[in-house]
Amino acid sequence: MMSPAKSWSDLEEFQAFIDHGGPQQSPGIVEAGDDMPEEYRNEVFRFIEFHANSEMMGGLTERDWIPRAPGLRLKQIFLAKTQDEIGHAHLLYMVAADMGIKSRREILEDLFDGRSRFHNVFHYQAVTWADQIAIAFLVDAAAFASQRAVFAECSYGPYKRVLKRIIAEEGFHMRHGEEMLLRLSNGTDLQREMFQAALDRWWWPSVQLFGPDSPPDDNLLRWKIKSERNEVLRHAYVQKYVPLLHGYGFEIPDPDLRHEDGQWLMGDIDWEPLKATMRNGGPDSARRIETAARNWADTAWVRESLDAAIARRAA
Amino acid sequence: MSPNLSPAARDVLLAFADDEHMIGARHAAWIGLGPFLEEDLAFCSIAQDELGHAISLYEYLTNDVDHFALLRSPDEYRSSWLAEWPCHQWNESLVRHWLYDHAEALRWSNVEHSSVDGLGMLAARAEREESFHRDHAEMYLSRIADGDDQGRQMIEQAIAELLPVALGLWDPVAAEPDAIAEGVMAASSAELEARWSAAVTADLDRWGFAYSWPTERPAQSGRTVRSCHFPELQASLQEVIALDPTATW
Repeated sequence: MMSPAKSWSDLEEFQAFIDHGGPQQSPGIVEAGDDMPEEYRNEVFRFIEFHANSEMMGGLTERDWIPRAPGLRLKQIFLAKTQDEIGHAHLLYMVAADMGIKSRREILEDLFDGRSRFHNVFHYQAVTWADQIAIAFLVDAAAFASQRAVFAECSYGPYKRVLKRIIAEEGFHMRHGEEMLLRLSNGTDLQREMFQAALDRWWWPSVQLFGPDSPPDDNLLRWKIKSERNEVLRHAYVQKYVPLLHGYGFEIPDPDLRHEDGQWLMGDIDWEPLKATMRNGGPDSARRIETAARNWADTAWVRESLDAAIARRAA
Repeated sequence: MSPNLSPAARDVLLAFADDEHMIGARHAAWIGLGPFLEEDLAFCSIAQDELGHAISLYEYLTNDVDHFALLRSPDEYRSSWLAEWPCHQWNESLVRHWLYDHAEALRWSNVEHSSVDGLGMLAARAEREESFHRDHAEMYLSRIADGDDQGRQMIEQAIAELLPVALGLWDPVAAEPDAIAEGVMAASSAELEARWSAAVTADLDRWGFAYSWPTERPAQSGRTVRSCHFPELQASLQEVIALDPTATW
């Protein structure tokens, strides 16, 4: 049975609900039909739209090398992985559209018109097969860490439920990335050189994926959309992936990387590349968006025809 | 690999495997670019199924599927031109999917009682998948038939382009008579083509798409001649594995 829609008289009461409005004073969960504050609705919508767009454009980043997969099973595996990403986008677009701000079609058309944003890493091109592996190993792991932190205390119910499935699949992708990297690291000189070059290209974008340090008054943290600060997640990622990559025999492309007091400390992060991607001005942004937009236009006749068939059958 | 496979059985299975491989590869190229997200997911599953069939068939022929599937010289392939065709537009891919899967279902049912060990079981599994593929293509095309003029014209254009190419699906390999005599397959390609033509025309007539039945067939010469699109397809398929064929990717 559906719970009655909840409403709050002001942001203070809403915050109290978010903090301890659930059973036994646990954090409260907001549902799609609740009369949520507009500030919260807009903030959560923007966050889910960004996540959905990133899954979609992530699928497009990975699709380039699928035709050239060096084996039939590998092709099946990478197809299934990319299908998962597109499937995540599908689920997330439905959750976002249910918030009543934009329809799924409007969200997609904003993306293809370059009016909305997606994760920095998907503004780069995979230039060799090893980049495909670097994405699976580095980017999926960063996305997994970031999504798990959202899931942990997520106050928006529909998003939290969808994230449960997404995280399960992303965890599988991460293991797949590890297996693929193991093959290359145990492979020929060419394979190891290819992966080192890919690592040189993907390390910094992967680290930047977590974003700059969270501001002190981050609404996403206050409203429990995120449960952890960006810099904490980034630091944990570096602690895990630096020794892993060293263990596989690869060099991190950071001349200032150092191990002090039991921790890996990075050199200064240049945030300009991230800022460029947020303006859709990354190295491959134009091609990526143009491919998606052209295809959307080329297949408009299908959607229009199916809409006409539905209208005719309903008449 | 099945060491006891006769040369005729090998020829028949190779043609089927190469078709499944090429169609799976071509379908796979649509990932992320379907006309809407649900279709993207569905078509990707179909591509994965076809690649799975190709792997199972290649396993009769070799112990090293990837090298065999990707690194032969063009004259050693036996794929049909329809499977090799690029179909860069969605109307072409959809019509090819419908034509091909009608044929594929007939080809699997034709080996249900094959003398080749295990092929009947593989056919039974593949037929279950193919029934979904055919439903997908037919439901889709029947809705477009009910849609607007633009949609119908797009489908009719693709039918006009691909129907002649599709006849090449029924170009038999040279050893087909021996394969039938050995019980590898039941009916000849000519008999299957008659059933396929009847099913395809029945669909087209039911949906009301305009078409004319082709009088010419692709010059495949017993599937020994590749289409003009094969070099581009093969270059893409081989690009990574050919970097170092000794490597494990």
